[in-house]
Amino acid sequence: MSTSGQPVPYPAGYPSNPPSPDNGAPAYGNAERYGEVFDRGYQHYEGSRHGRAGSIWALTRFSINRAMGIKKSWTAKVIPILVYIGAAMTAIIPVGIESFTGQVVMPYDQFFNIIFLLIGVFVATIAPEMLCGDRRENVLSLYFSRPITRLDYVLSKLLATALLTLTVSFVPAFVLWLGRSLLADAPLDALGDNLDDLGRIAVAGTLIAFYLGAGGLMIASFTGRKAIAVAVTIVGFLVLETLANTLLQVVPQRWENLVILMSPSNTISAFLTQLFPGAQTSGTANPDIVFSSSLYPVEGYIAFLVGMVIVGIGVILSRYLPER
Amino acid sequence: MASAPTIAPATAPLNGRTAPRDQAAAPIIVTEGLRKTHGRVVSLQGLTVQVPPGAIGLLGANGAGKTSLIRLLLGLSAPSAGRADVLGLDARRDAIRVRQQVGYMPESDCLPPGSTAADFVAHMGEISGLPTRAARQRAADVLYQVGLDEERYRLIKGFSTGMKQRVKLAQAIVHDPKLVFLDEPTNGMDPQGRDEMLDLIRRISRSLGISIVMSSHILEDIEHTCDHVVILDRGRLIANQSIRGIQELTGGDLLLRIDGDPAPFVETMRRQGLTVGMAERTSVWDEILVRHDDDAVYDVIRDAAVATGIALRSMRNRSRSLEDIYFSRITEANALDEQTAANGRMPSQ
Repeated sequence: MSTSGQPVPYPAGYPSNPPSPDNGAPAYGNAERYGEVFDRGYQHYEGSRHGRAGSIWALTRFSINRAMGIKKSWTAKVIPILVYIGAAMTAIIPVGIESFTGQVVMPYDQFFNIIFLLIGVFVATIAPEMLCGDRRENVLSLYFSRPITRLDYVLSKLLATALLTLTVSFVPAFVLWLGRSLLADAPLDALGDNLDDLGRIAVAGTLIAFYLGAGGLMIASFTGRKAIAVAVTIVGFLVLETLANTLLQVVPQRWENLVILMSPSNTISAFLTQLFPGAQTSGTANPDIVFSSSLYPVEGYIAFLVGMVIVGIGVILSRYLPER
Repeated sequence: MASAPTIAPATAPLNGRTAPRDQAAAPIIVTEGLRKTHGRVVSLQGLTVQVPPGAIGLLGANGAGKTSLIRLLLGLSAPSAGRADVLGLDARRDAIRVRQQVGYMPESDCLPPGSTAADFVAHMGEISGLPTRAARQRAADVLYQVGLDEERYRLIKGFSTGMKQRVKLAQAIVHDPKLVFLDEPTNGMDPQGRDEMLDLIRRISRSLGISIVMSSHILEDIEHTCDHVVILDRGRLIANQSIRGIQELTGGDLLLRIDGDPAPFVETMRRQGLTVGMAERTSVWDEILVRHDDDAVYDVIRDAAVATGIALRSMRNRSRSLEDIYFSRITEANALDEQTAANGRMPSQ
């Protein structure tokens, strides 16, 4: 303002109104376009819309963020961070030792057996985060009033759980594989030569992620309370392990293969023994247990694990059926 | 430089939607013999109704079947018998397509306390088919519309009941639905918050071209917000007609608040042929009820006030017609029930 109280006119060629400070327009010098008016009012949406696959992916991403405690306090991130540290150490330490010794100190089947406990703790923590909150906070009524089916909901939760679990089942094993290959005398040749191992790692990591993920979600689907779901998952795991290991000591050998399937860790151990050629595993997760009979072929374990995932999906879905 | 978004002109067609005020348009909801039972409890007894577009009130006492009807229309529960169409689609067979075009604001608390309003509303937009960027933009816009612009990055757990209701409304409209179901939207709100919520709902319906179905057991909320009312009682249809139609059918009253001697004022209006009665006398003012048959009444009131020298402090509609029709229809239905029951007992007597 001038001292006379009259507004000072803008120089010739400049806009007569002051520019908006936040629209990116230069303060002066653009006589054609100096500002824009944004209507904050409700606009009808005429852009593109994605289908159910997009909705499933959106729910998967939201569930992953929630389970990992993203945008939450640090306490929500403690267990995932500890698990990741544990998984990283399990992969990095053998690579470090092998770089000095030149010997394989931890075969892949043994690696998976060791990391299995970490994966179990991880799944027991994240699976309740996936489902319990939605039930407890009544968000389900909002989800199911959207263009997704109940199966879509279950699949997106399983996908979110499995993707997260892959970060502690497949990724550390991949790091081990990569480190081992890069430490070879001819790294590029080693990468090519070890592709078989990479395929087996991917199959093992993926099946473990979906198998444990489906199991964890199955338990979590029965309650809205996370603490109860975590407790039941851990106690259920311990009970199954104890029961199966006790039975393994007493049942005739011809029943052994079936008893192995009762326990998740024994099932995975047997599967890994068959998956990785030359594996020396004899129930490494349970050092006292030695599989004495000939195990099922690897395809049998794959079929069993896939079957258990499908059964898990069915059980979870039954918890979300519409009221009759 | 950011380009300005396309702004739909006020006269633009509403994205293929039917103008909600056009009562002659195709019905948005059609039910035929819709029945819902929960064990031995009957929530809906063969409901057959056609609902036009616009702002629709779903009125009934607690347990009348309002929420059951909404859940059936959304495909959230399966009918025991009968069928329902929403926006011309079978609510059960085409549930996904129906839910692409509708929004839902449930009665119960249904928001994750650990999310921010912006994140959750955007997430619900994405679930409804919006791309991520559009969902975030629209979430910001609708939260601004419902009055939560400043608070949208706060966690929902710190919100008051009124703010949570606004978030629920925002998530119901974020994906630009053609029809929104609002289940008891003013539940638990204080009077000021309730008025603001009803204003918002009116705006959504009248300015934005979105049809609404608002369930409530509060007559006044429906009367002030909706164009059309569907009244349910114990799962039965009691009434299905426009509120204007009800008012035209039953007339209405004007409530005048005056300063001065009311007697000559009342007498003057009566001489002009108006139906006038005293409503209430206080030490500060008098309230007078005048039958509002046609708009010529306003001229007579004005002239009578001038002639008798009274001060006319306020004049407003006092339409009790919805309440009247609600209770009279329920009384009629109950009487019919009793008569039917009595007739049923006759042969054995």
